[in-house]
Amino acid sequence: MDAAIDVREITRVFTPRKREPVTALDAVSLSIPSGEVHGLLGPNGAGKTTLVKILSTVLLPTSGSAAVCGHDVVAEARAVRPLIGIVFGGERGLYWRLSGRQNLEYWGALYKLSRSEIAERTERLIQRVGLGERADERVETYSRGMKQRLHLARGLVGDAKVLFLDEPTTGMDPLAAREFRALIAELRGEGRTILLATHDMTEAEALCDRVTLIDRGTILATESPRSLGRVISRFQRIDVEGADDDVLDRVASLPGVASVAAADAGVRIEVAEEGVTADVLRLLVDSGVTSVRTSMPSLEEVYVHLIGDRGLQV
Amino acid sequence: MPLITVPMFTIVFLAIVRQAGRGDLAQYALLAPVLIALWQLSLFCSGEILAEERWAGTLEPTLAAPASFPALVMARILAVTAVALVSVPEVLLAGRLLFGVSLHLRHPLALVLTMLATGFAVAGTALIMAAVFVLTRSARTFQNSLSYPLYVLGGVFVPVAFLPSWLRPLSSVVFLSWSGDLLRASLAAEPVHRLGLRLAVVCALGLAGLALGAGLLERVLSRLKRNGSVGVA
Amino acid sequence: MRRAGDVLRVLRYAVLSGYYDYQTIYTWRTWMVGWYVRVLSQVAFFALIGKLLHSPERTHYLLVGNAMLLAASGSLVAVASTQWERWAGTLPLLVAAPSSHVVVFAGRSLAFVADAVLTSLGAFFAAAAIFGLPLPWPRVLLLPGLVVSIAVATYALAIFLGGCALRAPGSRNVVSNLATTTMMAVAGVNVPVSFYPAPVHALSYALPLTFGLRGVRGLLGGASGGTVVADVAAQLAIALGWLALALLTFDRFGERGRRTGAIDFS
Repeated sequence: MDAAIDVREITRVFTPRKREPVTALDAVSLSIPSGEVHGLLGPNGAGKTTLVKILSTVLLPTSGSAAVCGHDVVAEARAVRPLIGIVFGGERGLYWRLSGRQNLEYWGALYKLSRSEIAERTERLIQRVGLGERADERVETYSRGMKQRLHLARGLVGDAKVLFLDEPTTGMDPLAAREFRALIAELRGEGRTILLATHDMTEAEALCDRVTLIDRGTILATESPRSLGRVISRFQRIDVEGADDDVLDRVASLPGVASVAAADAGVRIEVAEEGVTADVLRLLVDSGVTSVRTSMPSLEEVYVHLIGDRGLQV
Repeated sequence: MPLITVPMFTIVFLAIVRQAGRGDLAQYALLAPVLIALWQLSLFCSGEILAEERWAGTLEPTLAAPASFPALVMARILAVTAVALVSVPEVLLAGRLLFGVSLHLRHPLALVLTMLATGFAVAGTALIMAAVFVLTRSARTFQNSLSYPLYVLGGVFVPVAFLPSWLRPLSSVVFLSWSGDLLRASLAAEPVHRLGLRLAVVCALGLAGLALGAGLLERVLSRLKRNGSVGVA
Repeated sequence: MRRAGDVLRVLRYAVLSGYYDYQTIYTWRTWMVGWYVRVLSQVAFFALIGKLLHSPERTHYLLVGNAMLLAASGSLVAVASTQWERWAGTLPLLVAAPSSHVVVFAGRSLAFVADAVLTSLGAFFAAAAIFGLPLPWPRVLLLPGLVVSIAVATYALAIFLGGCALRAPGSRNVVSNLATTTMMAVAGVNVPVSFYPAPVHALSYALPLTFGLRGVRGLLGGASGGTVVADVAAQLAIALGWLALALLTFDRFGERGRRTGAIDFS
């Protein structure tokens, strides 16, 4: 019962007219405990948005079930709706002709807040997302970053227990995206459960407690960003400087070494099996090479290794 | 859209004249929907062209392209005007099937020449509209407001002779009033008076519209380029 | 009671945002120059046909019918309100919000219904002055009430049609245009309902304009109070019917959108 989001064997098939049906999600199961910031990481078209839509009650699954805070998203959609907030990327989803404050008041009313709650929460959210001075100007005059921050505030107006963020930083400039992520990071401390769908590896790594890698409608792995790295720690790499070719040849011939290739300032050795790193290090040190550095792959590398180069073509 | 409403207009107009026992006015009732469709489509098109390009963000690249923008707009307006001719069989069909009336082609040559001149004049006027639409925030509102006032001034159904005299000067610069009178005359039993002169007026008004429209469009676009606000109104 | 309060608050904000939308479309000046001239021309266009027919009676008939049609056609704007939400990208957010959608869609377009009432009355009185339509005092003071009843009834129809348009987003313009021209043809606007063959009458009287317009003609033409009241009662019954249909079907259309995936995140 303590799972905030519980997805069981969800499948969603879209049947476009006169074309082959497309399976956007294929028997996906996922459990996210309350208070966790969970990343849903995958390239465009992986099924992230489909899953978020199903969880936020705007799309029905073809089969399987999902629950938010213990309420089924299909049978008990009405119970789910007050508990969730949705924020998606881009500049839409706001009434451009209303001011930021009016937008928040409007949605506050839709989330059935009392008049005093609306006033109080609107003001607090405006301050929080840093729209203070511009709050009474029309949204159409806002910069993209401001619109996105307002969108986040909008998602929070109902005091959501579970927040769905679908590619929230799409199209933002790096500075605005960083500010936006800082805001999301703040939300972690408040006990909200956040599901962040993104194709941005650094974003997932910076914000998430755990990350689910999804591609072509199936889940590849669910781990913490760091242990996800460990999943393929066979791809652990060793950067070496000052090793002569003879030594490198011998390293390359060790069982379990995946590749030896020139890198920035020297050579990068990648291993493909657990425990091989020790063998490589021993050989290098024995050969008198001391400028050696080992490192874990970043989430980005995990992503590329698991999903392949396609992941970069987003 | 106008093509969907054309048969409805035909029904309404024919119903009015028949209910009043004035079958002799059926020709008027058949002509009016055609003129309305012609005007509506060109207005629709000229408004939509720029609004859509603006939405799609293709206005800037189009402006940057070497082709003359007014020429481009013109080509599209002409294409739409041609589509408007579909309204003719629609009207005839609705009139024949529901009311058993049809057009009497008394002066076919005059009719064809008038239609051609009218198409040209519509295109010229639409070009002015296209320029004005760039400047207005909501082209749709503008489009809306240019329908019935023009139908009245242009004598689309009721000849301008029925308008109060102070409106006549205004209606005489609206090419529709010349076109409407000519089209009605070409369906009447009497010979068409001064066909050449009246056609020349329609063409001249079309030409004036074209010149004004092209000039206006160039001015508007260069102003927008200077102010750097082509994309958003 | 709390629930009623919630609905009212949602309605208030929906009305407000619709009003702001409305404001950006019209200022006083553009309303007068653009819209008012247009609707007055519309009424004049048809009234002039009466002149062409050399019949003051037909002129007045056409004038009244087309002025009242404005109250109906203006309210049909509400058909488009679901599409506005799609454009704004707020449709999925509305579906996922805990309030009923129909209240939102209804409220968002209320400003346009108020506009339809004003437009209709404004065009009516000006055209009456221009074409010399006699106005029976003080009965004419009841006219605004009848115009409101036409606008509200059509508004209910529009919300129903807007719900239908959720399924087929491209159709909304066609739908509202077709509704307007159908009323123009068979609701007693330009010719009496009896002009058409009997099978059409059922459609005529189901339209949200027909009884109201008959009431207006009775009011202006000196019909007995009882006749006018009967027409008004029929008008309200039609309005309630369309409203009930709208309420019953609207959320179901949203459900269908959930099934087909027609509700897009943007």
